[in-house]
Amino acid sequence: MGRLSPLGRVGLWLANLAALAFLVLPLLPVVLGAVQSEKSLQADVRALLPRQTTLANFRLVLSGGATRGPIFEQVSYLPKSIERFPAAFLNSMVVAASVALLTLALAALSAYTVARLDIRWVRAVVSLSLVARLLPLIVLMVPLYVLFRRYGLLNSLSGVVLAEVGFLLPYAILILVPYFASLPGELEDAARIDGCTRFAAFWRIVLPLAAPGLAACATIVFILSWHELLIPLIVVSRPEAMTLPVVLAGLVSDYFVFFTLMMAICLLGLAPTLLLVLLLQKYVVRGLVAGALKG
Amino acid sequence: MATLEPRPTARSREPSAGALAVLLNLPAGVVLVLVLAWPVLYAGWLSLHEVSLRQLRSGELPFAGLANYARLFGDDVFWLSLRHTVVFVAVAVALEVVIGLAIALVIDDERVALSRLTRVLLLVPWGVPPVVNGLLWSFVFNAQYGYLNRALLAVGAIREPVNWLGDPTLAMGAVVTAYVWRTTPFNILLYHAGLRGIPRDCYEAAAVDGASGWARFWHISLPLLRPVIAVTLILRTTFAFMVFDEIFAITQGGPGNATWVAGWYTYRAAFQPPFNIGLGSASAWVMALILGAAALVYARLVGRRLEA
Repeated sequence: MGRLSPLGRVGLWLANLAALAFLVLPLLPVVLGAVQSEKSLQADVRALLPRQTTLANFRLVLSGGATRGPIFEQVSYLPKSIERFPAAFLNSMVVAASVALLTLALAALSAYTVARLDIRWVRAVVSLSLVARLLPLIVLMVPLYVLFRRYGLLNSLSGVVLAEVGFLLPYAILILVPYFASLPGELEDAARIDGCTRFAAFWRIVLPLAAPGLAACATIVFILSWHELLIPLIVVSRPEAMTLPVVLAGLVSDYFVFFTLMMAICLLGLAPTLLLVLLLQKYVVRGLVAGALKG
Repeated sequence: MATLEPRPTARSREPSAGALAVLLNLPAGVVLVLVLAWPVLYAGWLSLHEVSLRQLRSGELPFAGLANYARLFGDDVFWLSLRHTVVFVAVAVALEVVIGLAIALVIDDERVALSRLTRVLLLVPWGVPPVVNGLLWSFVFNAQYGYLNRALLAVGAIREPVNWLGDPTLAMGAVVTAYVWRTTPFNILLYHAGLRGIPRDCYEAAAVDGASGWARFWHISLPLLRPVIAVTLILRTTFAFMVFDEIFAITQGGPGNATWVAGWYTYRAAFQPPFNIGLGSASAWVMALILGAAALVYARLVGRRLEA
């Protein structure tokens, strides 16, 4: 493309500013809400910036309600979500990491057969995954609740992990197939000529070469698991097994809402996946594109 | 005496490609059958039975024929929820496509340095958990303390605070806004990838011929993006049809019934008193049938590329 006229340059700058405003401006209220006290938020309902800032909300949430400090000393009611936050954060980490690893392992095996073994029935795996990916989650959750109830999987993290692995597996296969298919076949052929079995060629040659694809897939699955509300909401009702989205959802029906505390919890809840998205952007971007367009 | 027979290697004992394919697909297959296929069929079975907490406790689920479906189709709230869903999907998907295309075009032009920052922050909304997204917008739209009213009051656009979530139309608009904000980056990303695939020569040739920026978009970018747009239309329509988290966190279906959508209806039927799981299963199956059609179109669209 040629050089921009000065006017075109200004226009493009403004367009970028508008795009940036769309992308990040809605997060500003979260930050502004989280760094002030409820009293300061309510003092002037027309003020945009807080009168004074404090980290008391974060201290309270991170300590599970133990570190009250001067702001919360007099408060008689605190949302249950505050007390449950630390354990739920840990549960979410355990669940998301387990789901990412398990899904990746199962999906890699299947995706390899689709991309590398020329077998008619295996191709149907992709079509089935495409259809399964668009299955409404709620259709799954109504019967899973009944089944999990019968087999004692309610209120357990393993139940949550199992349901999430099943739900995310088709998508993970869709992300990995194009990666495996794009690897040069010659290396695998050479290994086979040197006496490698097909599985050894997969294990020693294809998997290491597909590392960026595996990283993309694991990151995306981790993020989606961290975000998942409906599955743990239905599987878990005991506080000890709640994941972060369930604890966050508990804030909705609270009879008294502290918006400042809510925003502090939100900020802590969105931080892990926002960081992952920004740090591993290259992988996430390629994985999302591969999973949507390349089948 | 030396034999000429080759040493038995790992190769000679290896399973055929077909056997290996069965073996490697077995783990995923077992999980998919147990956690996807069986439950979906089981939901169909449940929808034909009388199932609520009492029956679950006793373990006996009496056959109910099509009673659940009769009740579902006789329920005004179900039809209302479907109508709301159609409106929600139409508005949300249209916005996702238009805003997605606009931002993709902006970041595709790398001639200003700022576009690099836009590309880096492209996925920020996608990284926000849906339930957090709901809570964050419920704060933004809050009538008393929300930042939307603060901002509008500050610039003088309104004189008195607006009760965004108290008005049926505004509340639907609020939910759509929140949902569109979180989901548009996915579209931007795919359109951006699609635009990257268009050879720059096309634009240069058009520019030499004197085509304006608009003409280049209309006659080159848009036609070449059509397959990508088709994929996003199907994906976004399906996902918008299932919207749940934002409804849960922002309006809980309110005010009144104003933001009841299909997913919320199903959830409420099955998991809120009186826990009518049979009715919930029937509603879930109706949703699955509607979306099944979309899924088949999608599988054909993307599947065709795989064959090619």
